Amino acid sequence: MTTWTDSSLIAFVDGELGSDQSTQLQAALMTDNALQQRLAAITQQRARVAAAFAPVLDEPIPDRLSQLLRAPAGTATVPTVTIPTPTVIDLDAARAKKEQHVAEPAVFTVAPRRAVPTWAQWGGMAASVVLGVLIGIQLKLSTDDADLGLQGGRLVASGIIEKSLTTQLASESGRGTPVTVQLSFVDKRGQYCRTFSTAQMAGLACQEQGQWAVQHLAVIDATPNTGMRQANSALPRTLLDAVDQRIAGDALDADGERTARAKGWRR
Amino acid sequence: MAELSPNLRDDIAALLPRLRRFGRTLAHDREDADDLVQIAVERALTHSHQWQPDTRLDSWMFRIMQNAWIDESRVRARHQQTFFEEEAGEHVGETTNDAQMDALAVRKAVSQLNDEQRAVVGLVLVEGLPYKEAADVLGIPIGTLTSRLARARDALQVILAGPTRARL
Repeated sequence: MTTWTDSSLIAFVDGELGSDQSTQLQAALMTDNALQQRLAAITQQRARVAAAFAPVLDEPIPDRLSQLLRAPAGTATVPTVTIPTPTVIDLDAARAKKEQHVAEPAVFTVAPRRAVPTWAQWGGMAASVVLGVLIGIQLKLSTDDADLGLQGGRLVASGIIEKSLTTQLASESGRGTPVTVQLSFVDKRGQYCRTFSTAQMAGLACQEQGQWAVQHLAVIDATPNTGMRQANSALPRTLLDAVDQRIAGDALDADGERTARAKGWRR
Repeated sequence: MAELSPNLRDDIAALLPRLRRFGRTLAHDREDADDLVQIAVERALTHSHQWQPDTRLDSWMFRIMQNAWIDESRVRARHQQTFFEEEAGEHVGETTNDAQMDALAVRKAVSQLNDEQRAVVGLVLVEGLPYKEAADVLGIPIGTLTSRLARARDALQVILAGPTRARL
């Protein structure tokens, strides 16, 4: 029996554990109570920290910040800020001093981001009490979510989740359906992917060998000691980030979804 | 490539809530955090030609904020002592439930971490960046990031557990 180190558990909670190890850990979690508790402690701490800062997202943006980003009148090619900034005593001097060594942007090797993703609004809404990629505990504890299963080392959708992913259009979601499907898109491997959520969790599943393989799963927390709850339709931001990293092109519109559904989500 | 993409303004504007949140993990005090966001937005607009459209805008902005925060350290030192009093005063009569109490306790605990630890907590635990991305923002190897993160988590645990134990 493998001994799981704290750093492995932390990596798992942060969604950074390799897929082989994650699968092993998920299997171990099914039967190991002590391991579940250790993982829960790490998970809870992460959720607690995230929850403590989440309300900032809902605060009104101060005028002095939104004014900076208002488009300058009559031109779209002004290279510098033309709107005078409200005076903040210490900043001007500090700024002048620092303009000379502003950071060069790093070259990041991640997905291209398109301007204003259509799902950005959800990220703002989500209270983001995300428990990382926490698969094992939730699968074991929540019978409602038995519609996911391990198969050949992969987590795949079954039952109502599979049915919803296969048949439900995003536009049909949310009218009393137990599973909400928000986004459909083609990933960089050329496979269809869709996001979904239930009352307990939100996930991203992609077509692999005729099945919906779950790539990312976030537990929607109703932690008693924070009282935070998340609307069923609000996708956790980690999930949106996962979409961002996988998507090739734009999300499908209703017609695109119908076409994909007619072809059984095969390409 | 010196012209400012009209979309960049909109894209940064859309990020403002998250930039303010990241600012709050670094600076704790709301006004200081917003000052930091303001500096970063101004720098980003002035240096928009350095922005590479095929990279993550949030990471770029976080990086500018983090650098500005380090630059601000001297200014900050002057204010530091008043932070906790202000925060306490600001929320009098506002903390009506357990969740808000807990949020205050956690934010205060985060503010007691050192600069390096607060940055990794903000980027990974609050903003949800992957390790690689967060390490790039901070310009450190992933191994350094993960050990800072582990120490930050331990420290938070100790800070948050401390007063409760003492009372029992």
